[in-house]
Amino acid sequence: MDWFFNFPDMSRSDLREFKKTVDFAFTDFSRSYGADIESFFDPLLMFLVWFEKFFINTPWPLIVLGILILAWIGSRSIPVVIGTFLSFMLIGYFGMWEDTMSTLAIILVATFLCISIGIPMGIAMARSNKVQALIVPILDVMQTIPSFVYLIPVVMLLGIGKVPGLIAVCIYAIPPIVRLTNLGIRLVDKDVLEAADSFGANYWQKLFGVQMPLALPTIFAGVNQTIMMALAMVVIASMIGVKGLGLPVLRAISNQYLALGLMNGLAIVVLAIIFDRVTQKFGLRMQKYRNDGKD
Amino acid sequence: MKRVFGAAFTMAATVAVGLSWATIGNAACGKVSIAEMNWASAELMANVDKIILEKGYGCEVELVAGATMPTFTSMNEKGAPDVAPELWANAVVEPLTKATSEGRLIVANKAPITGLGEGWWLPPATIKKHPELKTALDVINRPDLFPYSEDKSKGAFVGCPAGWGCQLVNANLFRAFEMEKKGWVLVDPGSAAGLDGSMAKAVERGENWFGYYWSPTSMIGKYKMHKLDFGVPFGGKENWDGCMVKAEKDCANPKVSSWTKSEVNTVVTSNFKKNAGVALDFISNRVYPGDIMNGMLVFMTSQKASGKDAAFEFLEKHGDVWEKWVSPDVAKKVKASL
Repeated sequence: MDWFFNFPDMSRSDLREFKKTVDFAFTDFSRSYGADIESFFDPLLMFLVWFEKFFINTPWPLIVLGILILAWIGSRSIPVVIGTFLSFMLIGYFGMWEDTMSTLAIILVATFLCISIGIPMGIAMARSNKVQALIVPILDVMQTIPSFVYLIPVVMLLGIGKVPGLIAVCIYAIPPIVRLTNLGIRLVDKDVLEAADSFGANYWQKLFGVQMPLALPTIFAGVNQTIMMALAMVVIASMIGVKGLGLPVLRAISNQYLALGLMNGLAIVVLAIIFDRVTQKFGLRMQKYRNDGKD
Repeated sequence: MKRVFGAAFTMAATVAVGLSWATIGNAACGKVSIAEMNWASAELMANVDKIILEKGYGCEVELVAGATMPTFTSMNEKGAPDVAPELWANAVVEPLTKATSEGRLIVANKAPITGLGEGWWLPPATIKKHPELKTALDVINRPDLFPYSEDKSKGAFVGCPAGWGCQLVNANLFRAFEMEKKGWVLVDPGSAAGLDGSMAKAVERGENWFGYYWSPTSMIGKYKMHKLDFGVPFGGKENWDGCMVKAEKDCANPKVSSWTKSEVNTVVTSNFKKNAGVALDFISNRVYPGDIMNGMLVFMTSQKASGKDAAFEFLEKHGDVWEKWVSPDVAKKVKASL
């Protein structure tokens, strides 16, 4: 009855052998292809470095002005613009300007990367149930796997720094945009599609003329979630050497610096709120037609 | 054996209950919590302590996960956990001195592992390719050998993860050696995993790597890392304690210096002395020879063994080492339980 109370598991030496084999295979892979993979990402790294330098070296009034203009274009809301202005003033006043700019740079690149990979993936999923069945489990894994599990192999391949950080952020932040693009397109009214068919629209006309515009609010909710999740990963990315607001938070955690942790943590929150409000207002404006003639 | 116990009990009945409890030993040990720090040698030590305290002294031992600063702060402020088997005391010199003088904490063992230390390291392949790199001063003049991935014109010096005590020291040494002027960037690896990963990646691929690490560790043992001589003498206690270990704003003029001798202690709370006083002798006797510890750490990585597995391996294989730490009576009990 021993097997009933104790799980009949693999013998310890076999398990050890198994783990060693996996590790060895990965080390081997990293040795033979690591340098190539690294040079593949080199242009991206150069761009990230340039983009961060651009944010840090541009005089702060220009950056603030640029952000305020973007906030206005996005939200068309005076309170949001004023709130953005005050937040950035406070961030600068408390000496977190440079870290905030580093974080902003990597988050913007991450968001752009996620959107440009995520939306086509979402469209492909919406087209075919088979593709959906294939991708959904992958997204589940990406969202739930503890980040350090994939951080270690990524670091072994690419070293520490911006590129592995960006990959870590994207693995976590890409699922919402993929899921919501898929969902948005699938939720488009069948009658509308039938009408488009009867007018003789081909696949691409239907996709870009009917499905995408009608799905835009949902897709935009995905973009919003992607940005939020990217910001949530800032501290984790710093654990593999990404500069920015995450590093002071890590320093604060290990030293119990309450004020330092709180200040930098709140700076991340402030960035998140600004992104959230601006993109939400933008999304709302895009679906304004939905309320037309309803009141 | 029975007879001895019987005699002890008769004595206990006739003389004084309290006294006999102390002489039997077993029952005199209460609940003990041991900090299991998040690196291999400390995991091993915590697990060995747990087994010996439980089986040899009859304590009730709980292992608590820990890291230098949080564990020390918690011991200092709250009196828990009771034992930090491997506390790198350099990071906490001042509060530790204060706590010991006020009787809250006791340094039970001043050097639980021999031959250890922090410093700057190079992989063996780098030494082979560039035998002229004898001291840190030589390395500092060659930033071109250690290109920084984000700016290839600069050399990368991998410092200490954010928030560790050594982070400040590395930053101050970086300034003292004027490394920025000589074309270096101080890279913050962000976490232990980041530091290990950056070293492992470089060594596995035969790339050059220059950075901070400490021994004894499985990483140093596994990759046979070479500890660099700093090429300068120790710059004095005043420079180190008053400047090197402090933040930049409190250390305006750091002087070049080799790394201070590492103080690794086993620290216990006053509560431990009260609850498990019988085991205090064991704590202060147990000294792991450096080579044995390194051997254990290589065992842990190569066999993917946990701290607990390694503790049993250590107790089984190295009886000649640990049996000297305890009385023959206790050693017999521990051995019987293996």
